[in-house]
Amino acid sequence: MSLAAVTASDLRDGEVVFWAEGRWVKRFADAELFNAVEPGQAALDLARAQPTIVVEPYLINLDLEGGVPVPTSYRERVRALGPTIHPEMGKQAEGGLVVQALRAHAGGARSSGRLGLIRLKR
Amino acid sequence: MYRYDAIDRSVIQDRSAEFRDQVERRLSGALTEEHFKPLRLMNGLYLQLHAYMLRVAIPYGALSSDQLRGLARIGRIYDKGYGHFTTRQNLQFNWIRLEQTPDILDALAEVDLHAIQTSGNCIRNTTSDPYAGATAEEVDDPRVWCEAIRQWSTLHPEFSYLPRKFKIAVTAAPQDRTAAKVHDIGLVLRRDRDGQLGFEVMVGGGMGRTPYLGTTIREHLPVQSLLSYLSAILRVYNRHGRRDNIFKARVKILVAALGAGEFARQVEAEWTTMDRVAVDLPDVELARIRGAFSYVRFVDASPVSSSLEAARRADPTLGRFVRNNVKPHKIAGHAIVNISLKTPGEVPGDCSSDQMDAIANLADQYGYGEIRVTHEQNLVLPHVKLDDLAAVHAGLKAAGLACPNVGLASDIIACPGLDYCSLANTRAIPVAQSIAQRFSMPDVAESVGELKIKISGCINACGHHHVGHIGILGVDKKGEEFFQLTLGGSGAEDASLGDVLGPAVAYDQVTPAVDALVQAYLRERRGAERFLDTYRRVGLTPFKAAVYAEAH
Ligand code: SF4
Repeated sequence: MSLAAVTASDLRDGEVVFWAEGRWVKRFADAELFNAVEPGQAALDLARAQPTIVVEPYLINLDLEGGVPVPTSYRERVRALGPTIHPEMGKQAEGGLVVQALRAHAGGARSSGRLGLIRLKR
Repeated sequence: MYRYDAIDRSVIQDRSAEFRDQVERRLSGALTEEHFKPLRLMNGLYLQLHAYMLRVAIPYGALSSDQLRGLARIGRIYDKGYGHFTTRQNLQFNWIRLEQTPDILDALAEVDLHAIQTSGNCIRNTTSDPYAGATAEEVDDPRVWCEAIRQWSTLHPEFSYLPRKFKIAVTAAPQDRTAAKVHDIGLVLRRDRDGQLGFEVMVGGGMGRTPYLGTTIREHLPVQSLLSYLSAILRVYNRHGRRDNIFKARVKILVAALGAGEFARQVEAEWTTMDRVAVDLPDVELARIRGAFSYVRFVDASPVSSSLEAARRADPTLGRFVRNNVKPHKIAGHAIVNISLKTPGEVPGDCSSDQMDAIANLADQYGYGEIRVTHEQNLVLPHVKLDDLAAVHAGLKAAGLACPNVGLASDIIACPGLDYCSLANTRAIPVAQSIAQRFSMPDVAESVGELKIKISGCINACGHHHVGHIGILGVDKKGEEFFQLTLGGSGAEDASLGDVLGPAVAYDQVTPAVDALVQAYLRERRGAERFLDTYRRVGLTPFKAAVYAEAH
């Protein structure tokens, strides 16, 4: 398995969150990265056991952009950033290296960012 | 406008209280997401890419100034200070928190608004003519019938779990501003030779992955039979609609499968045997509803306004605004004012809370307190005196809302697309912004004339691309955003579905391609032909040659 992370929506406010060692964090830059199937799956199982905290957790594929891990799917990059038309809204407002890498990456426009479902030009 | 009575109020207050309880149970874990999701959807609450999205129903697109102010306030307190008007005359808030939604529903209820019938497989909010009660073209006020449909359909036990969502449009003017032919049911009010009012009933229109234009199954349904006839259609649909396959569940598929003739026969059979008296609206109630829409007492005004003429001479931007955004009114000395939410550079359909307040104030001061929403994502002040037009224009200008581009190339419909929507393949808004920028010079846009460009970020077609003079559909091509262009669609009275131009073009090629299409039109145009007319006369060939020669 390539690099992966676990994401979900916060139940109370709907905000995009990422799994990080038992907690949920709001910035993709703080997400825990998995590079093997078992720990990723184990984290997903733990995440699924928190239905009053998050909605529908799932694993997403990651690529490297200039050495920085970023979601393979464009949809997931938009989730990690905020609307492309409002750079002042959502998580991208903070800026930083990871936000730059998220913006720089291309491809993966298909709607589902879920592991194993993205068609990629390789 | 129709004003809620005590029954209307108690229905939405109860609904809000019920949802508060459901949210509490979801937050405590007593309800699972699986159980809760259909409940939140029945209250217009979706989970989108960045947050929850609340879709507020604006019944038949009619708002009072107080209601618009109520929406502005919600945008300010619970969202990021703006809302998005949709192609279904509704309003979406994009940054909503689940835990605050019960308070938002209460705030909506305070101004007689709600989010019922904006989601789920029920009869959705009825579409109507934004010029209703203002245009001289109409044979009757369509809002009367929309309000009757609202009262009958809201929380209707038999029709709350249909095979799929169900959309009805009502228009009473020959010029169709409702896209009636791409609704599940399109109703066109007409008078017959004896002067009797009746509906032409069209069924089975729709967009999405399998677009159809509606077929007429009744030429002239006596108006008093409206609700029973609608019930008969819905019963046939409820009985035979494809609940097994979401892609085949809309009534358009059933009508196509049975054939319109057979569908009509079954509807007539159902209608003849049902207890119509129990369903149809009693005359007293109809009169009550009708009374609610005839409250505007127009003041006398001169058919020609010398102050307006003087102001136009002094300010060419006013002249352009009047030319493109202002339409004739049924009462002498009045006009219908369209407010474009498509200023180039802005997001189509977005309106800030401050702008909503400004419009509400203008409506109070100059427009009998009424505002309408169009399915083309613009707003309308339906009744403005010619003498007040210059002041309204100045007020709109101060609020950044005086763009004189209604119906022109920069007045583009775009769905939220991948910037917000979790179903999207591609973005739609930045595509619209780029094209609008290309036609941002008012002279350029005016020289091109009427051109309806419509963009959807996926095949669900919320951006009505099938009926765009130029339609643009976002598709995924090997992981990249690509866009398929269609030509010759129309959602108006001359409805048609667009034809695919050729292979999809890349994101950065869309604006050059649209530009090439427009240049080809200008070369081919004869006389006062619109883009659509020229396309219908000459067909795809010159347009194909233009795009694929230059953009590829
Ligand atoms: S057309 Fe597709 S992308 Fe656009 S709003 Fe509808 S579902 Fe979302």
